[in-house]
Amino acid sequence: MNPSKQLAPELLSGSQVLIEALERNGVKQIFGYPGGTIMPVYDALVGSTMKHYLCRHEQGAALAADAYGRVTRKAGVCMATSGPGATNLVTGIANAFMDSVPMVVITGQVPSALQGTDAFQEVDIFGITLPVVKHSYIVREIADIPRIVDEAFQLAENGRPGPVLIDLPKDISAGTGAAVHMPLAPLPAAPDPDASTLQAASDMLSKARRPLVIAGGGIAISNSVEAFRRFAERTAVPVTTTLKGLGIMPADAEGYVGMLGMHGNGAANHAVQNCDLLMVVGARFDDRATGHLAQFAPSARVIHIDIDAAEISKLRKADVAIVSELAPALDGIRPQHKANTGWRAQCAGWTREFAWRYDAPAKGIYAPKLLRDLSRVQPAGMITTCDVGQHQMWVAQHCSFDDPLQHLSSGGLGTMGYGLPAAIGAKVAKPEATVLCVSGDGSIMMNVQELATLKRYDIDVKILLFDNSALGLVRQWQEIFFDGNYSEVHLSDNPDFAGVARAFGIQARSISEPDEVSGALDWLLKSDGAAMLHVAIDSMENVWPLVPPGKPNHKMMRSNPDKAR
Amino acid sequence: MYHSLDIRLSASEGAVIRTLGLIERRGFSLGKCSISEAGSNGRSMQLTVASSRSGDLLKRQLQRLHDVHSVELKPAVSIQKSPGIRPINRRT
Repeated sequence: MNPSKQLAPELLSGSQVLIEALERNGVKQIFGYPGGTIMPVYDALVGSTMKHYLCRHEQGAALAADAYGRVTRKAGVCMATSGPGATNLVTGIANAFMDSVPMVVITGQVPSALQGTDAFQEVDIFGITLPVVKHSYIVREIADIPRIVDEAFQLAENGRPGPVLIDLPKDISAGTGAAVHMPLAPLPAAPDPDASTLQAASDMLSKARRPLVIAGGGIAISNSVEAFRRFAERTAVPVTTTLKGLGIMPADAEGYVGMLGMHGNGAANHAVQNCDLLMVVGARFDDRATGHLAQFAPSARVIHIDIDAAEISKLRKADVAIVSELAPALDGIRPQHKANTGWRAQCAGWTREFAWRYDAPAKGIYAPKLLRDLSRVQPAGMITTCDVGQHQMWVAQHCSFDDPLQHLSSGGLGTMGYGLPAAIGAKVAKPEATVLCVSGDGSIMMNVQELATLKRYDIDVKILLFDNSALGLVRQWQEIFFDGNYSEVHLSDNPDFAGVARAFGIQARSISEPDEVSGALDWLLKSDGAAMLHVAIDSMENVWPLVPPGKPNHKMMRSNPDKAR
Repeated sequence: MYHSLDIRLSASEGAVIRTLGLIERRGFSLGKCSISEAGSNGRSMQLTVASSRSGDLLKRQLQRLHDVHSVELKPAVSIQKSPGIRPINRRT
């Protein structure tokens, strides 16, 4: 806007000051939903350089902003009104918090004088979100807005990223005042890794007989994939990844043993249980990755590298801890020789032994094989978003990614309903990329209203919907761990999903036979604009392997204990 | 295990509840708590907390908060047992 405003501040509304501050911070797109107390901001938004995407539920807006933040590594911005608008954002905020995603959240609030009086659409969103934000503000003075907005972006994007909430009472957004922008001092840079600690880590790697690296989501967040690949090639240490680390190593890279954890690859879980040194990079020992923690990697000493000091020795004691940016630490760890060839051969043997098989005698279409086939024909750089459940694990197991930012999955929070809004956020952030949402019949219904957003803005998202007429992962657990006592998991009365898509103006096809897969995938990927491919699959199909809860990772179940598959 | 904490934090709205909330959420029960103004734009908070979890880890978790300026974790030997609190025994 007019630069002279910075020289001689004139009276502006709080909303105008906010819009200017967002524009100054480089915001190009906002995901949101208007309502009572945020109306002054929507009034000021008209004529702004920013494009607003009206999602059809605030949760959709927050999850779209999450994916936007993951893909761009800049804070995605979402906005909603007070009360239910704000509470509907909470799942998206928690999702971003758990997966360390930069996000700036703006909520309307009732006027300051009414706060604390149980006013219409008043909730203490500041209090509600305290456990799931990196930081948060309630704006009390118009003059504070430029600083608060600048700080919010700075905090959201620097160090370990996360969501920052700005709660804006209506008397502030509608009131007028003067606000001068004063540039913020930069945050102190993360310390360089300490030379003696790097040496200690190098020595441990040199002495290890069976070293293994766990590569986590922090590597993608900190843009350290290339540094990591240099390290892996230089040291030849076998690598496993977490769910959020998928894509850090090409799927067929030498020494890569796949994803570890509850539904990880057997090679990864055997390598981790047998290693004598575990170097953990940008990962946090999540229980879905470790299985029974006390029996996790029982013979291993641990090198833990993370930018967040609070992750060190939180769950597993680190013998050497490096708190720094990941790339300089990876570049600075220099073992005297490459990893032991015998150990590498053992890992390669496990990789062969536990290679995925696609000859399972499934009834109808076998989802893992479809996903493997899709990976072979997908356009370069395709971004895949997932919902949560069996299909999410099949994507993790059977799709291949050249870069972790091509796989957007709700890892920490496990948010059913993430996939479709995430695909919207990803496509808006990166319009040149093909964006595929892989969903399930349970998850899609959590945010199905966002089909309207696809149509409204002509957002080209391809939806691959696996429909097993069940909440499949819950059904699987009930089958295995609750003696087949199925409780509230049957969805045999699902709507006609292709018909639902068409009702929203989205083209759709349904398939149920294996010989239809190839042509249907071709149709989906080449269709002009948004499209849905609905795929009926066997409702009794399970995700294998499975590490039962409370068991160590090598005690994987590879099939149903009671039935031969 | 009992720990004594001396925390300097900003006077920002919500800073106290944010700090106390983190302590309880991370598995520490709160005992004595005294808050006073410190300097032109700050507060000082003296706490006794109890948990089976590591006080050093709690210190690093507190240091992540933008509102927290400094955390001093005092050695357990100098702590008077607070009658009102029992250690939270949570599996990690």
